Amino acid sequence: MSENTSDIIIIGGGVAGLSTAMQLAKRGASVTVLEREQIGNGSTGRAAGLLGQLRGTAEHTRMLMDGVEIVKELEARAGVEIYVQTGSVRVAETPERAQELTDLIEMGQSINFDISEMPIDELAKKMPYMRTDDLTTACWCPTDGHLQPAELASAFHKVGRDLGVHYETQCPVTGVLLDGNKARGVQTPKGEFHAPIIVNAAGPWSYLVAGLTDTTLPTAALGHVYLTTQPDPENPVDRLSPGFRNRHNRVYGRPENGGLLVGIYAEDCAEFDMSSLPPDFDMSSMKARRDDLHLAMLIHAAQQRFRWLNERTPMHVTTGIMTFTPDGLPFCGQLPDHEGLFYCTGFSGHGIVQSPAIGVIMSELILDGKSSYDIASIEADRFWEIPGFQDRTEIQQRCYKMQSSYYGRVEGKTAAAAKEVGE
Amino acid sequence: MKIIVPCKRVPDPDQKLRLNPEATDIDTAALTYILNPFDAIAVEEALRIRETAKPDAEIIAVSIAPAEGEADLRTALAMGADRALLVEHDDTLDPWNVARLLAAVIERKQPELVLMGKQAVDDDANQTGQFLAAQLGWPQATFASQIEFVDDGLLVHRETDLGIEVIRTSLPAVVTADLRLNEPRYASLPSILRAKKKSIEQTTPAELGVQPEPHVRLIGMQLINSQRNCEKVETATELLTKLREAEVIG
Repeated sequence: MSENTSDIIIIGGGVAGLSTAMQLAKRGASVTVLEREQIGNGSTGRAAGLLGQLRGTAEHTRMLMDGVEIVKELEARAGVEIYVQTGSVRVAETPERAQELTDLIEMGQSINFDISEMPIDELAKKMPYMRTDDLTTACWCPTDGHLQPAELASAFHKVGRDLGVHYETQCPVTGVLLDGNKARGVQTPKGEFHAPIIVNAAGPWSYLVAGLTDTTLPTAALGHVYLTTQPDPENPVDRLSPGFRNRHNRVYGRPENGGLLVGIYAEDCAEFDMSSLPPDFDMSSMKARRDDLHLAMLIHAAQQRFRWLNERTPMHVTTGIMTFTPDGLPFCGQLPDHEGLFYCTGFSGHGIVQSPAIGVIMSELILDGKSSYDIASIEADRFWEIPGFQDRTEIQQRCYKMQSSYYGRVEGKTAAAAKEVGE
Repeated sequence: MKIIVPCKRVPDPDQKLRLNPEATDIDTAALTYILNPFDAIAVEEALRIRETAKPDAEIIAVSIAPAEGEADLRTALAMGADRALLVEHDDTLDPWNVARLLAAVIERKQPELVLMGKQAVDDDANQTGQFLAAQLGWPQATFASQIEFVDDGLLVHRETDLGIEVIRTSLPAVVTADLRLNEPRYASLPSILRAKKKSIEQTTPAELGVQPEPHVRLIGMQLINSQRNCEKVETATELLTKLREAEVIG
């Protein structure tokens, strides 16, 4: 086979593409990954990596739990620490939120997931830097934690390379080659690359890549921001302090380098038209202005839970772009319009933690035509031909609405919430 | 006490820059601008002075920029500056002419202190503060890493290659901020909303009675080639051979 011909081309060198490439190579396929910039430089490089295994459905939870096993294997193979098991807490300050946690505990225990209620005084001891006097309920998942995004991406990359995956960086895809409606390859400034199977794992850019074959992909590129405080001797945050989710305040976070990482799913977020960004746009160079409104919202919300944190706290701010879908669930698989074109995108802020299992699912879909998981809820064609998912403006609005209501949603009722958004 | 903080609007230095087709300047088409980071440090220092030594301080942010420069003055206002003045001017000015315009503003506003960044991160000239002090006939304290009010003047720590120099100056004075003077704050939500409502005073070089006379002409610009050609070598011997080939070592 010539250098530019392989079984499968993957567009995008973030965790989704890298994990898929590694799993495919494990099963003997020849794979080429084309990355417009550097490996892991897009959303992957801007992610917080929080791992909350308990998701809306038992199947999603199974995917994430299996993902942890894959990560442990990767750690052994690549010799790096990826998974930091800190445990995680969810906190509630209103009766509605408390009910959510009660439901969640019930659901978790019904599928043998380790979750229990944590008394507030115990929580206060565990996280002395967090305000707890206004909380009514908290729950504790000892097996949660976070994945270190850079280490995860580099482990996928390293293991993939050992398995023969070929990576081209600084290689943006500018065209998709078709034979009728069958995928044949792609065009890049470095020449053509040929393969009968192409995976679009281009994250925020994936809708533009889909546009190359006149396919409308219902994803939107939305801004996200989190802050990381510098270590503060007055408020030390142990590296094994729990990750946390505080939906009422719209914030989540975890320990990071002796400081605290806090992010927000705010009601409002920045919206990006990826086609208007410079062709050599580098997400790692994004930064927040001193008077960035979304950052101010984050600081304001974070301060409600961490009284010592304010706009003067020495901190590092990370802004990036996420790929949202109208229901907050990824798109995995093919669409009816072309043969050989697969999608692996739309992780809606959960790409890091979903990527290990998604690689397995994608490799199964590509090599076996079906997955060992029940993937109905993440199948790429679930919005195909449904009115309202063909027009970019409408798609943008739906995805934006999903982001805004993400932390307003009741976990365990994903399907109902998605239906609501879809109405 | 009145403090003037000159605020320069600069292209975000972390973005990828391109040249215009004539290669005479950077292509401004898709540029993102920010408040010069050293000026943000100056704004922060002024705020801290108001919070501690001089509670009556009035902080005025001044920018010489096209109309869009208002955005960066809003940043200063959102951080906490009391007022802002925009000297509307479209073309690039050299530091001498920036200093002349600032001097004209200062003659009108009569501040006791001018606090500004030691340099702007776009042209890295590091001249405006010094020119301004000379034109005003005021003392200057450049590269300040610490500022303290003593008696009727200032005690300023300056970071030099030889160590920290401590100097004493009377007021009024021009002080330029170095990187380690402080860590600027982000704007709070209420402060951003308040800043949005504030009106920004506008003027022009003509109104200030200053006709810019360029002393420096930019004749061309070249991008630095930062393309890295990485190659992986297996052994130290191979590395040495490569370094010799590239004439890095003899």
